[in-house]
Amino acid sequence: MNSNKDYKAIIIGAGPAGVGVAMKLYNSGIKSVLILDRNDKIGGIPSFYKREKGGVKTFMRWSRGAYPVFGQDFAKWLEKLISKTDIEVKLDSLVLEIDAKGKTVTFVNPKDGKLSVSAEAIIMASGSREENIAERKWLAGARPSRVMYTKQLLNFDKNDLLPIKKPLIIGSDVIAYAAAAKLKAAGSSDAIIVDNTSNPKCPIHERLYFRFWTNPSFHGFNAKTMEIEGKESATGIRVNGEHFDCDGIVISGELIPNSELALIGDLKVNVLSRIPVINKNNQLSEPGWFAAGNIRGGFHGAEWCYFNGKRTAVSVLKYINKK
Amino acid sequence: MSKSGKLLYNWPDNNFDESLKFHDASQLGDIPYDVAIIGAGIVGSALAYQLSQYKVKVLLVEKNYDVGEGTTKGSSAIIHTGFDAAIDTLESELVTKASLEWPELAAKLKIPLRKCGAIVIAIDEEQEIQLDKVYEKGIKNGVTDIQKLSGKEVKEIEPNVSEKVRGGVLVPRESLADPFSASTAFSEIALQNGTDIILGVEVTAIENKSEKIKTLVTACGKKIKTKRIVNVAGLGSEHLARIYGGEEFDTNPRRGQFLIFDKYSGSEINRIFLPIPTAKTKGVLVAPTIFGNLLAGPTAEDYPHSYENISETTTEQLQLLKEGASKLYPKLQEQPVINIFAGVRSNCKQGSYWIRCNDNSPGIITVAGVRSTGFTSSPALARYLIGKLQDELGLNLEEDPDAIDSRPENKWPGWWKPGYNIKELVDENPDNGKIVCFCEQITKADVIRQLDSPLKPRTLDAIKRRTRAGMGRCQGFDCMVPIAKIISDHCKIPLAEISKRGPGTEISSTSTSNN
Repeated sequence: MNSNKDYKAIIIGAGPAGVGVAMKLYNSGIKSVLILDRNDKIGGIPSFYKREKGGVKTFMRWSRGAYPVFGQDFAKWLEKLISKTDIEVKLDSLVLEIDAKGKTVTFVNPKDGKLSVSAEAIIMASGSREENIAERKWLAGARPSRVMYTKQLLNFDKNDLLPIKKPLIIGSDVIAYAAAAKLKAAGSSDAIIVDNTSNPKCPIHERLYFRFWTNPSFHGFNAKTMEIEGKESATGIRVNGEHFDCDGIVISGELIPNSELALIGDLKVNVLSRIPVINKNNQLSEPGWFAAGNIRGGFHGAEWCYFNGKRTAVSVLKYINKK
Repeated sequence: MSKSGKLLYNWPDNNFDESLKFHDASQLGDIPYDVAIIGAGIVGSALAYQLSQYKVKVLLVEKNYDVGEGTTKGSSAIIHTGFDAAIDTLESELVTKASLEWPELAAKLKIPLRKCGAIVIAIDEEQEIQLDKVYEKGIKNGVTDIQKLSGKEVKEIEPNVSEKVRGGVLVPRESLADPFSASTAFSEIALQNGTDIILGVEVTAIENKSEKIKTLVTACGKKIKTKRIVNVAGLGSEHLARIYGGEEFDTNPRRGQFLIFDKYSGSEINRIFLPIPTAKTKGVLVAPTIFGNLLAGPTAEDYPHSYENISETTTEQLQLLKEGASKLYPKLQEQPVINIFAGVRSNCKQGSYWIRCNDNSPGIITVAGVRSTGFTSSPALARYLIGKLQDELGLNLEEDPDAIDSRPENKWPGWWKPGYNIKELVDENPDNGKIVCFCEQITKADVIRQLDSPLKPRTLDAIKRRTRAGMGRCQGFDCMVPIAKIISDHCKIPLAEISKRGPGTEISSTSTSNN
């Protein structure tokens, strides 16, 4: 056993995937585990979908029969799992860089300042974010205020203080429809949803589910460009000669993995898609490095990520036990 | 210490700090200004900075809600040597002079500057022939340290350059710096030396323009007395000159779109890659930025003043831009773009650096056609304008022994010298370890430090330009609202009233200005 490392395992990200990895490792006898998360709470993205006035249940639990839950409740369940263990969790802790060969991560937080720690295995479970305007390639135009990502909507303190009354949503996956429902529940008008596809990306059964709150109009295009309008705040978009009116724009969905740490740390990552290279043992390009959850690419719900974390932990266990 | 000038914002919103609000012209006192500078871009700020070294009463007026928010913010952020400037022009003279003083000046202002050098690159036979001209022009412009390189030599120092490279001219002193930090630094020092600064104030009329004491009339209905006026309003200079009946000139806005690439692309090239310049433009360059990103641009699209969408980006031009830039650096196509933006240069048809003293009215200077070289030339141009103020506008200057010309050591930006690197700073103030912008690794302490800085920035864009929070790959996905909350908490402004760049750009449509 290698004793010169600080931990058996370090997990970057305390969302569903990270907690999944941690619980499986812990319950399999690996007690020396550190979870780092840059947010101030456990739960990752689900924790931003709050249970309060204007909130919408957008997370599905499939394990005990399919039923919708608030993201925040899912996050609280994850938090409760961790609280029953003595797994070390450092919140407000942003990883600045990694050393792939030395299996070290350097992070900063308000208590420790800048600190480097090492482990036998390191699992990246840092999730994904929404593609920005430039990354979508067909979005251009003005740069007014009130053009925001879905995450920014969720960041407002109270659901009923949402910043848009007449929303236009760019993107048409389930995140877009959930945003439309959330905005409507908080008092906005039915959203206009536009995308550069002929049909909404959100499957019909999920769209039907959100009908309970809102019936947004969808406009699909096959356009080379879509331009944001507004001198001060957003007033609309123009696409193929058509104008759509709004008082705020939500740029939604189209997830891109948060894999930059891996990229900068010389782990192999596809630069444009940001999807890390992962082998069948869930390992990244250097031994002892793993990835779990939405950082692997694609778009998965919270519960999938949790179980993916558990599956990844099995590979981690094999790796640690072999050493 | 009571020397500091007044800082006032024309902020109609009731929630804004009362002590910073421009209620009445009497707040500025009743003694007429010696000089009113209209426009707080890089040139106006540099002029205010240098005038503040003298015992003279100066007002800096800006229509935006921050300094450096116009043409200044959308430049390629390079300190040029002037090697390719038109020979024997004022532009060439000022750029060459200023380029030599920037390293020392940047250290005084506490703005990061990196001497990375540039290479003019020829990729075909025709361009190769042009290299000699580029070299000779450089020498004539007094840039004697430039060197001719063979294709092989270019490839050796820049392995990622196009395989087609046939030769180049190395310009070792071309440097990277950030124009908005420079405008901020200039203005902060001027303010501390006693210059009054009013923001969000547009000058809409000038009364008694032929008299010794003139009156500026603002859009917000205030009247301010001044003996002299310097019009450095950038794209607004033509409109302003019409107000006081200056000599006719035409500016046409020239749009320059840029692509910004993520930081791990920044180390792909070491120097600024320049194409062979044409008469109209320096062409599309690829350059590292002082922040560590990679930048490609600008396009050069001329539009009439009436064109409404001048500051918009277009998918088509950006695509052309990418293709153009990848001729010098082919791997550009594989790099991830994280931001696109459009800057606007103020191009003057009558010529660059078109300056008129006592412009049809005594005591008024008009400055037009300060194009992309304005960042570099600003300190020398400011001195040139001070010379004109003395010689032609009868301004008597006496040095002020108490004036400061630099900022203290703790003014280095957080993105350059992060507070979290020093454990004592984190122990003293845990906010130095609290990261709010994950991509650029900017701390809560950085944001608060800027809110408390002399110019009291209150908009998201002003904070973004000063701290870099929100400039990274996620473009504010994670940090925009948390930062708005910090501004809200710290400055006691309701969250819905926090704005991107002033009234009308609030982040929420529930803001009172929308009702």
